Amino acid sequence: MTSRADGEAICLEHVSFTYPGQTVPALRDLTLSVRAGEMVVVMGATGAGKTTLAKCLNRTIPAFQPGTLSGTLTLFGRRLVHEGVADLAGVVGLVSQDFEAQLFATNVVQELAFGMEQLGVPPAEMRRRVPDALAAVGLTGFERRDPATLSGGEKQRLAIAATLALAPRLLVFDEPTTDLDPLGKLEIFDVLGTMRRHGYTLVVIEHESAAAAHADRLVILSDGRIVLDDRPERVLGQGEFLRTHGVRPPDLSGIALGLGLTPPPRTVDEAERALKDRPARDSSPGLPEASRLEAGWTYPPAHQGFVWVAGGLSLRTGADTRKQSFHPPTRAAVHEPVASPRAGAGGAPPLVEAANVSFAYDAGPPVLHDVSLRIDAGAFVALIGQNGSGKTTLAKHLNGLLRPTAGSVRLAGQDVHGLPLNRVAADVGYVFQNPDHQIFASTVYDEVAFGPRNLGVAADVEARRVRAALDAVELTGCEAADPFLLSKGHRQRLAVASVLALRPRLLILDEPTTGLDYCEQRRMMDLLAKLHTDGLAIVMITHSPWVVAEYAERGVLMGGGRILFDGPLRDLFAREEMLRQAHFQLPDVTRLGLRFGFTPLTVAEFVDCMTAADPTSLSADR
Amino acid sequence: MSLFLYLDRDSPLHRLHPVVKVCGMLCLFVAAFVSDRPTVVLPVTAGVAGLIALVGAWVNVHRLRVLFVMVFIMTLLIWSLFYRGGVPIAAWGPISISAAGMQFALAMALKLVTFLSIGVVFLSTTKIEEFAYALTRVGMPYKLGFAMTMAFRLVPVFIDAAATVVQAQRCRGFNFDEGGVLQRLQRYVPVIVPVFMGALRRADGMAMALEARGFQSNRPRTSYEQYNFGARDTLALVVAAAVVGAYLALWYLGYTSVPIV
Repeated sequence: MTSRADGEAICLEHVSFTYPGQTVPALRDLTLSVRAGEMVVVMGATGAGKTTLAKCLNRTIPAFQPGTLSGTLTLFGRRLVHEGVADLAGVVGLVSQDFEAQLFATNVVQELAFGMEQLGVPPAEMRRRVPDALAAVGLTGFERRDPATLSGGEKQRLAIAATLALAPRLLVFDEPTTDLDPLGKLEIFDVLGTMRRHGYTLVVIEHESAAAAHADRLVILSDGRIVLDDRPERVLGQGEFLRTHGVRPPDLSGIALGLGLTPPPRTVDEAERALKDRPARDSSPGLPEASRLEAGWTYPPAHQGFVWVAGGLSLRTGADTRKQSFHPPTRAAVHEPVASPRAGAGGAPPLVEAANVSFAYDAGPPVLHDVSLRIDAGAFVALIGQNGSGKTTLAKHLNGLLRPTAGSVRLAGQDVHGLPLNRVAADVGYVFQNPDHQIFASTVYDEVAFGPRNLGVAADVEARRVRAALDAVELTGCEAADPFLLSKGHRQRLAVASVLALRPRLLILDEPTTGLDYCEQRRMMDLLAKLHTDGLAIVMITHSPWVVAEYAERGVLMGGGRILFDGPLRDLFAREEMLRQAHFQLPDVTRLGLRFGFTPLTVAEFVDCMTAADPTSLSADR
Repeated sequence: MSLFLYLDRDSPLHRLHPVVKVCGMLCLFVAAFVSDRPTVVLPVTAGVAGLIALVGAWVNVHRLRVLFVMVFIMTLLIWSLFYRGGVPIAAWGPISISAAGMQFALAMALKLVTFLSIGVVFLSTTKIEEFAYALTRVGMPYKLGFAMTMAFRLVPVFIDAAATVVQAQRCRGFNFDEGGVLQRLQRYVPVIVPVFMGALRRADGMAMALEARGFQSNRPRTSYEQYNFGARDTLALVVAAAVVGAYLALWYLGYTSVPIV
């Protein structure tokens, strides 16, 4: 639509911004120049100033947000002084993370028309622009749909189309994929690629390094400053640097570093070719360690297993003890796939057992079809599958929030619907996806104490439990703080603490890492790993491939309201085709490993298996 | 869940100008309102039923069937028993039944069901944007009309949010069904606060998104949908005016009230 124009699209000079009441500026003396037609991806930890930057670009700051702003912003040669947000509506489009808050109409065409009506675009022109904008985001044919009936990815694409219809020359995306499932994310990344080809100037703020695939430049922000601004492949190769700035380095750059591949491969195909073309170090890619992986041997959890060091990757245990880093099969790894819930029963009764559960909301179509799931003490289960596959619905059965239309759910042998609420809440904790759906108290202490008080525990027990729960999530010292003023990462951990205070034996979490940066995600997951070590059973619903790969022991894949697979995680990850059909994106390292005939879950495992030089020395180590 | 009854079809009623739809609805309301006699309400009811058939809105009547039946039966029962002024046929203490009372009760029940049906016809054929457009055409400020459409869109969103919050708090052992009235009100704090805070956050996000779409650009607005006033609209207005005129005349002449037997 817009032709690629030469010249400068954005020129920020010495821009600083401080939120009211803050002493530390959110942006510090930031200078950035973006040429027209360029695509720039901006990454960085929470609080680095990414969203503040986006808001400056469309004048939400200073128009909506009080604070101290200095410096100058020039867009397409026009220096902005008094312009408000709406004055720039046809120049800058801003698409934010919260797609629900960006839709206002009752059908798709009206949604596109809404902005154009505000700007006084003549009706004939509107009729020309609507099909173009819909085609650009792949929503042709959706004209008369009610936006409320669209999927998350479709809603976000509609929000993009509605912005495109205003014919802006610059588009700013503020974490457009954060609230989407993997399929939705891919849809948006595709749209970004298309728009780049159309010559739009794009500024994309993202947590996922996959967004940088199409970019010309990748900018890393830290504490309101640009700390790196370079071509994406150069930035993404710097693992340790990315980590400290809240970005998860791509698997492939870790592999390139660990195996000394230059230039670093950009795709799994490239990596495969590069590895197969390497001069062979032993006659076959014999991968003796790989066969152990398949036999159920594992590394210690990857988050403890290796560290990044300058210039390379090494195992924390040291290179010469590497061969001992394999562990014998764990309990979870030999867990039998649960074909029938009673089949695996041996010894202790399961914590929770759903037997032949079917469920439908009101008169709607069935959401679960004859699902059976058994959760034993000490389990660490990842519940995966695309949106609408029934994950959350199944999880809500495990603590009796929903009542099955057929089948039963038993908690320690008793029907969950015969038990009093208190009893269930004290056994099965459930952390909702959005912590803001439960936070209501005026202090952190009261928030955490709410659960124990509902159970009617004595005051001293309450105090002890609150202390222990806050300690577990590392929020000790925040007792008197106002929960609403905490950061998202802190609120998420507070939500976990407030459920832990009930002392459950099973903790269910719905998307515990959504909306957090990489450091916060690590922290949340390490917290869960620690709780698991201390004996808590964990069931987490998640879309994040690496979170599943590095933390879960057992994988349950759902699709169309049925369990498609239930078994050890490595067995699940070996079924690439099944996962692909369920729209679950395997980690790159696993995809690459599968082409060499084994199923690595982490970069460290892959690197180790590929560098194992002497097959015979391994068995001697046992 | 959805509050919308709108049916995306192309019936003659759908194609009417939004202002005509609003006027037509008001005319039918008035006609039904002035009649207290079953035989007088019935033609309106039949007419509206015809419109429902024309639009194909029986789906919506079916969706609301419980409401229709409840309203009809409750009205019939209450007015039969508590109508004052007729000659009692039977009496139990203060409660009595009279022929006039039963006639009146039947009329009231028909009247309320007719109101509901008119509403169904209107909502089945009118997008909320059209409704807002019609109101702005008769003098309501644009932003007020927009606020109204947003309210319609947001109510289901907040109901969903409240349902989630209730579940989240139940998971923390919170029982809503304990205690007296005052205690129960207090017990809703853990639900009201998150829903309210969520609403504020949402409002903030929406305000910015609205702005980014040029909501306050102060340029003259245009409309994507072009509503033309055609012969069909004239005809509809004439019919509506004739109906309301006839009913007002009947009412003025006293034919619409229940005769005292």
